Amino acid sequence: MTDPVLSVRDLRVTFQTNDGPVQAVRGIGFDLGRGETLAIVGESGSGKSQAMMAVMGLLAANGKATGQAVYRDAQAGGRPVDLLALSDRQLNKVRGARITMIFQEPMTSLDPLYRIGDQLAEPLRYHRGLSKAAARPRILDLLRLVGIPEPERRIDSYPHELSGGQRQRVMIAMALANDPDILIADEPTTALDVTIQAQILTLLADLQKRLGMAIVFITHDLGIVRRFADRVAVMRAGEMVETGPAERLFTAPEHPYTRMLLDAEPEGRKEPPPAGAPELLTGRDVRVTFRIGGGLLKRGRDFHAVDGISMRLVQGQTIGVVGESGSGKSTLGRALLRLLPSTGRVAWLGRELPQGAQEMRPLRRELQLVFQDPFGSLSPRMTVGRILGEGLLIHEPDLSPADRARRAEAALVEVGLDPAMRNRYPHEFSGGQRQRIAIARTMILRPKLIVLDEPTSALDRSVQKQIVMLLRDLQGKHGLSYIFISHDLAVVRALSDYILVMRDGRVVEEGPTEMVFDAPREAYTRDLMAAALSRDRFGRLALG
Amino acid sequence: MTDATLPAVSRSLWQDAWLRLRKNRAAVASAVVLAVLALVGIFGPMLSPHSHATIYQQYVRVAPSFEAYPKAEDILPGFEREMKRARLTGAEPVLEGSRLSVALTAGEKPIDPRVTRYFERSELFSAPQLDLAEDGMTGTLTVSVNRQYFILGTDNLGRDMLTRIMIGIRISLAIGLLASVMALIIGVAWGATAGYLGGRIDNVMMRIVDILYSLPFIFFVILLLVFFGRSLVIIFIAIGATEWLDMARIVRGQTLSLKRREFVQAAEALGATRRGILTRHIVPNLLGPVVVFVTLLVPKAILLESLLSFLGLGVQDPMTSLGLLISEGAQNMRGAAWQLIGPALTLTAILFALNFLGDGLRDSLDPKER
Amino acid sequence: MLSYTLRRLAGAIPTIFIIVTLTFFMIRLAPGGPFDLERPIDPLIMLNLQRAYGLDQPLWQQYLTYLGNLLQGDLGPSFARRDFTVNDLFAAGLPVSVMLGGLALGLAAVLGTFFGTIAALRQNSWLDYTIVALATFGITTPNFVVAPLLSLIFGVILGVLPAGGWSDADPRYWVLPIVTLALPQVAVIARLVRGATVEALRANHVRTARAYGLPARVVVGVHALRAALLPAVSYLGPTAAALMTGSVVVETIFGIPGIGRYFVQGALGRDYTLVMGTVVVIAIFVVVFNLLVDLAYAWLDPRVRYD
Repeated sequence: MTDPVLSVRDLRVTFQTNDGPVQAVRGIGFDLGRGETLAIVGESGSGKSQAMMAVMGLLAANGKATGQAVYRDAQAGGRPVDLLALSDRQLNKVRGARITMIFQEPMTSLDPLYRIGDQLAEPLRYHRGLSKAAARPRILDLLRLVGIPEPERRIDSYPHELSGGQRQRVMIAMALANDPDILIADEPTTALDVTIQAQILTLLADLQKRLGMAIVFITHDLGIVRRFADRVAVMRAGEMVETGPAERLFTAPEHPYTRMLLDAEPEGRKEPPPAGAPELLTGRDVRVTFRIGGGLLKRGRDFHAVDGISMRLVQGQTIGVVGESGSGKSTLGRALLRLLPSTGRVAWLGRELPQGAQEMRPLRRELQLVFQDPFGSLSPRMTVGRILGEGLLIHEPDLSPADRARRAEAALVEVGLDPAMRNRYPHEFSGGQRQRIAIARTMILRPKLIVLDEPTSALDRSVQKQIVMLLRDLQGKHGLSYIFISHDLAVVRALSDYILVMRDGRVVEEGPTEMVFDAPREAYTRDLMAAALSRDRFGRLALG
Repeated sequence: MTDATLPAVSRSLWQDAWLRLRKNRAAVASAVVLAVLALVGIFGPMLSPHSHATIYQQYVRVAPSFEAYPKAEDILPGFEREMKRARLTGAEPVLEGSRLSVALTAGEKPIDPRVTRYFERSELFSAPQLDLAEDGMTGTLTVSVNRQYFILGTDNLGRDMLTRIMIGIRISLAIGLLASVMALIIGVAWGATAGYLGGRIDNVMMRIVDILYSLPFIFFVILLLVFFGRSLVIIFIAIGATEWLDMARIVRGQTLSLKRREFVQAAEALGATRRGILTRHIVPNLLGPVVVFVTLLVPKAILLESLLSFLGLGVQDPMTSLGLLISEGAQNMRGAAWQLIGPALTLTAILFALNFLGDGLRDSLDPKER
Repeated sequence: MLSYTLRRLAGAIPTIFIIVTLTFFMIRLAPGGPFDLERPIDPLIMLNLQRAYGLDQPLWQQYLTYLGNLLQGDLGPSFARRDFTVNDLFAAGLPVSVMLGGLALGLAAVLGTFFGTIAALRQNSWLDYTIVALATFGITTPNFVVAPLLSLIFGVILGVLPAGGWSDADPRYWVLPIVTLALPQVAVIARLVRGATVEALRANHVRTARAYGLPARVVVGVHALRAALLPAVSYLGPTAAALMTGSVVVETIFGIPGIGRYFVQGALGRDYTLVMGTVVVIAIFVVVFNLLVDLAYAWLDPRVRYD
């Protein structure tokens, strides 16, 4: 066996903050073999990204790394150099040439002010001394390699003229420009739609096979690295809790945290609503149209965010609405609650829902909404108690403050939080806790229907699972109905009875959950699923 | 991480901001400086031995000094001068402490007791006492020497600069505060209404702001002064009326972005009324940026008032303000530099402290900025 | 781009029209008139004077006449300086104001960018703190304090430069006014550039540039600075217009024959045409420089489109 291309020993990363030093990485070590794929997996805040940022010398100004990161450059005869001990000037000979990196944010990782051809030329110019003109054929090759259509035209595009997936491909092209030994991929697919995620992963796997560089793949999602990684390292709170070959780690995890992560996929199915359950909400030919552009005098263009959707929801039922970003699923949820002006009919318990805010107000307590972003949906200057009490203030104005406090405490208990947290402010809570508070805010009114707009997408996998369980418990206990909007099919499957698949404002496929999952009719649905469900993830990809 | 432990003490964002502000040394120092200046502005003129309007004709353009006026070498010549006016002759005057006495020698006529008037009128002396001999031809005249301190010198009319600067501080701070309050009220009302109602109303309201914006500020002020006559009230109304434009823009922008925030949508989904959303969600969240902006507005208002006074459009003699003092100082800087330096430094200190305090507030209310 | 420019200029006409109209009626409705001297004039002379300047006609007719003349570029005769037309006054004063303002602007842009970048690159060092403190000083110290102090120090005490006065030919007379005009702008631009550079250095695409081993000068000069200059460019538009139309304070203190004083003098003396002329000139400068800034912005940032 040859020497590993990268050996990390006792790596520590400390940030100086206003509240004193914070250790993000607490002495980790690992070896990366030549041509090997190592996945570093951990939830947010586990220090997985900061560890590799430290290796690349990219820590923020208040961060400091200690330990060793020994890189052996085959071109330099395998002479070991400690990357952490290099000056910036020396490090610049390595990074971008021998070790390259792609990032989570494809939308912002490229400089918006320069053409992508110019940006791709930079690593070639500064590491190989090529002129702009000499670099051009190589850049065209690279763009072709990463599957950018019409590279001759695209080379002169600005980043904002490309889609997110294309930008990530450009980043990969940049990473490959100098035939690196190591490619560090920091959550390269997280910000992308699921179908694009699958394409990027396939591309990376394919390129590795052809070019043979080692890959460090940083991700929060254990599921997607199963087939992709040779070895997996699991990180938690700045430490590596378990490292091992992918097969072994997935079949026989040793550390309880790894087991918890593996287990984090929401399981179980929802009990279907009883036959003959009363009809709650029906929508017929619901349309939402936005005007884009236009001004005082100019008429803008019409954009149909929701384009004629009909649906029927019975008591105790959950309808899952799935689709990629921009498919109109959130808009549909808000239109059904009359939070957006729409046309078509929406009936609640057989009666048409009024359009006016005034007339809707009494009905609001039965029709509730939970948002995706638990950081944004709680007013930052109100205590949790006041946030929970707001609905009561509106719908039961006769309650005394003491009664409201009691109800708030009961609601907190219901969602599994300490009632003493009533006097805390939202910024003091973690994302999962905030989402529980947001759910408690709706539950306190004892609603009949809750529209859940991606309630789990901003959360870590393990927290997602807890929220899914909580939602299912509450539904069973109170006979709630949900409209569950999500792009995450694993979560949708665990919660829904019936599924609507949306694309461009229309329903392209619908049916009972099992039917849609087992026998999807539309290619779009199949793509969504192939990309999203971990047990099938990479199942159909030709990885050999 | 559901069970992540919370800090033992719960802190609201305001409390957090307060703690951060207290750690900011420059902001704390600025607050102290401002508090001291405010006290000086309020109480200083009351405690000062001079009124801002008192004119000491003998002490025109005297330089700053910790020594008392009249200076020792000036006392006797001054006394001689008054003696001459009173047509008195005497022996060598004797100075004991602040009492000056002289034995009067006999002239052709008896001494008229009313000669004390000459010494009463003089600014150098007070409490003249005449002890005449039986024949009224000789006697002793005793006067108190008035010791006046002009630590920062006097102006061209012989008025105490220190007192005038203290009055200037008072006027500047008062106008700064009042004009800012006015800008605050108009600006928040206008901006929040435009931002919250949105659409065509917003468009029209902001177009009005744009047009007013492109009219020069001075034009406004001159018109107002011409229409309503010059007075302090008009000056602060004029400043407030121009400063609210910025405030309206800021508040509108904030309102627009708050309206799109999810917690406002959440309140709408709960069935909250417009009023409820404005009072419970929009206004409390507007407060931070507004507070910061007001602290930056006060120095701007002070600056505008000074500029007006500098141009001769502001407060009028004998009332004064820092801008007016600087204007006078600039005309007299050759030979009387203290007339410029004192008020200039004071104004700069006020503006500097206010700006630092505003910056500190912004940093503490919006920690992302750092 | 040409059609965009033309459309923008055409779009500015209603704004200028509204401003002209507002100013016209506001100044006319103000009490007092251009011939209200301290001594009352003989009513007959007054009548003749008013007739000579067309003030005896109904207001709306005067307004239409003014608009008509304005369209032909005629700003009318000055009321206070009877021998001059407003066009004459601007022809004499505007070049002086534009030259001083332009030089001050250039100085401010260069120095401000330089200090702002340095401060951002050395963030939280003593150099940074010094620059920020000096910038705060520069922003807070009003020009009517700076101007006499500079004049006092360099003109009176040191005697190296003229304390005031003006000469078209002798650049030594230009130094103090330019410095006074530039100082606060240096400070503002330095702060703007510093803030934007600090932000740009944290941007993801700058991290990318560092991750690809580009030399520091390329990371900063190419990738950070261009983005960081955008806010400063936006700021320069209105500032250029303000600087080049003269500063009443600087012109008064140094005794410069620019156009900055005309507005105050005109408004106080009810020199209607002079006030109107100043407003028109300022409005044109604002429109032109905002347009230039938007063009420069679009040139710097390809995401901005002309529409």
